[in-house]
Amino acid sequence: MKQIRILKPLTRLVLIVLLIMLAVTVHADSSWQWEMSLRVDKVGESMYMPSAVAFDSENERYYVVDTGRDRLVSFDRNGKLLRAFTADGQLKAPFDMVRLDNGQLWVVEKGRNSLTNIDIKAKKVTPNTIMDGERLVFPDRIAYAGGKLYVLDRASGQVLRLNDDLTVDQRYGCPDCSAGLYDFVMDQDSIVALEPRDKKIYRFNLDGTVAKTINLGGVIEFPVSLTVGPGGFIYVLDRHQNCVLAYDDDGQFRYKFLRLGQAAEEVYFPRQVRFDPWGRLCVVDEGNGRVEVYAP
Amino acid sequence: MLLPRSLRHVIFLTVTLLLMLATHAFAVTAIDCFSCHEREPFQKKVNHEPAASGECLSCHSPHVARYRGMLQMKVKDLCYTCHPEAEEQQRQGFVHKPVKQGECLGCHNPHASDQAKLLKGPPGEICFTCHSGMPRKFKNTHPPYAKGQCASCHQPHQSPYANLLVKGPDALCLGCHSVATVRQKHRNFPAEPGNCVSCHNPHGSDRPALIRNILHPPYADGCDNCHTGKGIPVPIDTCLECHPEISEQMSSSHNHLVRYKDNGCMACHSPHAGDDKRLLKGKERHVCGQCHEATFKRHDEAKYSHTFTDACNNCHAPHGSNYPAMAKAPINTVCSECHGQHGVFSHPIGEKIFDPRTGQMMTCTSCHATKGSDFPYHTRYNGKKALCVQCHATY
Repeated sequence: MKQIRILKPLTRLVLIVLLIMLAVTVHADSSWQWEMSLRVDKVGESMYMPSAVAFDSENERYYVVDTGRDRLVSFDRNGKLLRAFTADGQLKAPFDMVRLDNGQLWVVEKGRNSLTNIDIKAKKVTPNTIMDGERLVFPDRIAYAGGKLYVLDRASGQVLRLNDDLTVDQRYGCPDCSAGLYDFVMDQDSIVALEPRDKKIYRFNLDGTVAKTINLGGVIEFPVSLTVGPGGFIYVLDRHQNCVLAYDDDGQFRYKFLRLGQAAEEVYFPRQVRFDPWGRLCVVDEGNGRVEVYAP
Repeated sequence: MLLPRSLRHVIFLTVTLLLMLATHAFAVTAIDCFSCHEREPFQKKVNHEPAASGECLSCHSPHVARYRGMLQMKVKDLCYTCHPEAEEQQRQGFVHKPVKQGECLGCHNPHASDQAKLLKGPPGEICFTCHSGMPRKFKNTHPPYAKGQCASCHQPHQSPYANLLVKGPDALCLGCHSVATVRQKHRNFPAEPGNCVSCHNPHGSDRPALIRNILHPPYADGCDNCHTGKGIPVPIDTCLECHPEISEQMSSSHNHLVRYKDNGCMACHSPHAGDDKRLLKGKERHVCGQCHEATFKRHDEAKYSHTFTDACNNCHAPHGSNYPAMAKAPINTVCSECHGQHGVFSHPIGEKIFDPRTGQMMTCTSCHATKGSDFPYHTRYNGKKALCVQCHATY
């Protein structure tokens, strides 16, 4: 009888512990919590087809490239709208941007196929056509690391590292892949790039050699963007499934989150995924005209 | 070791009774069905095993059924009970539409046929029942097509290759046309034989050698208009010099430029010849499907979906656009081209009406999912309530 009396509470305890463990496991699989939206709430002024988000860690700012309204919109770290910048109406379909430490902006303008330099202090906007030898470059995504600009060329499907005079210094590509590279991020001393048609991720050394290839497998449908988390996980944005898929650094699919819609954990035709300097995941939600920020 | 005599008697009697019962059941089934149904349609050169052996009840219910033809279950489910490999096939690669839709009886007769594989008609003929828009013959017809040998190039159910080809396109062509012969006929061609359908129509053409009917004018004029030397690729800039309007379209936020070898234009267009002035490498369904197959799949599998989706260019700008989803114009304008009345009398939409959930302009796609949904009129949510309360919560 004494043994039974002990067994009963013990069983209860084990069950409770199991339930807690289950809850923690489920939570761990989708630990991203919606934190805020970067959006313009004024009626009729909301962002239209935003395509990229960039960061200024020093001044704690976000910049959202508002392609549809030809402007760059800045927010503070808490998501408060600061200002909208149009370079006096000169921007033509801006698509992506980086901010340099000296305050200069490099903006990809699809509207005039240009990699445009904006010197805000000097109030000077300088469009540039990029050539790779004799070949016209179609700039798409852009990054800045180690004092160098890196630009994705849509026509060749390669990432190009540029010299200060905007000539091509190094190329990163996958000659045997089907469609070429579509998005990339800098990760420590390497470039991590997405090939959407073969559904592969390439990690390049800075000398252009391929260090690693990861197959994304059948769970993904239409990958358009990727980023690498502080813990080494790779997050891939699926535009048609309206979700982010997480892979470990061995390329094993771990979990996915977000779904189609307009609410807090929903997106509609998302376009880019990036980590901000504070470890939060930012999803550029093109169809809903906003950037959704998720905290771990 | 022998069994006891009494036990042997019991076993003998049981086996005899079972045999009698089985024979009787078979006779009853066969006799009962054919006492009303004529035997003749069930007795042809090729007979489906269950029908031939009188096992009518393996597919049909004799008294009452939920499915047409007194079937026990849906046609495809019934077929898959004995042909599980066919069910497995339709989960992989490119799948023929009737197979995807479970329309086995579109091509096969379930009881008997004078054709192999229980086809409802001669192999060539049966394809034309759906592909009726294709000409029966061309001025110059590819012999297998003329003979109705569709299956020499195409798989009827599923294939890992687009257009349900039995092999990769080049391997298929070179299977009959040897590399040596092709080289001989293309003496100045700078590359290895391949990509044949870029210039040749595999079914037929008005031109000799099955060259597609419409020639790219610079090609008709001579190779030097684009090519600067043997083996030197023609860059995209060369195309854009003559097509500045395309260059303009590509200078848009949704730019459809893709990498394809040395020239992205060639991903969709043939530089030499095509079946219409766009010089596309095939029908839009297949050209676009090279990258967007999942979109077609979603559309096909949706319970309710928009029609005409196979004609992508009806709604989308193929080179680039400044509108969401690469629409060829503001989405309300695109929809109103066919649904003119809706643009006038429907729920308010347009530049001055904003979706309260996001602040975005209200458009047709705020409520309708163009690639399909589970609800009538392919609305995003159930139109009876859930759709409306998205914005009108207090109603």
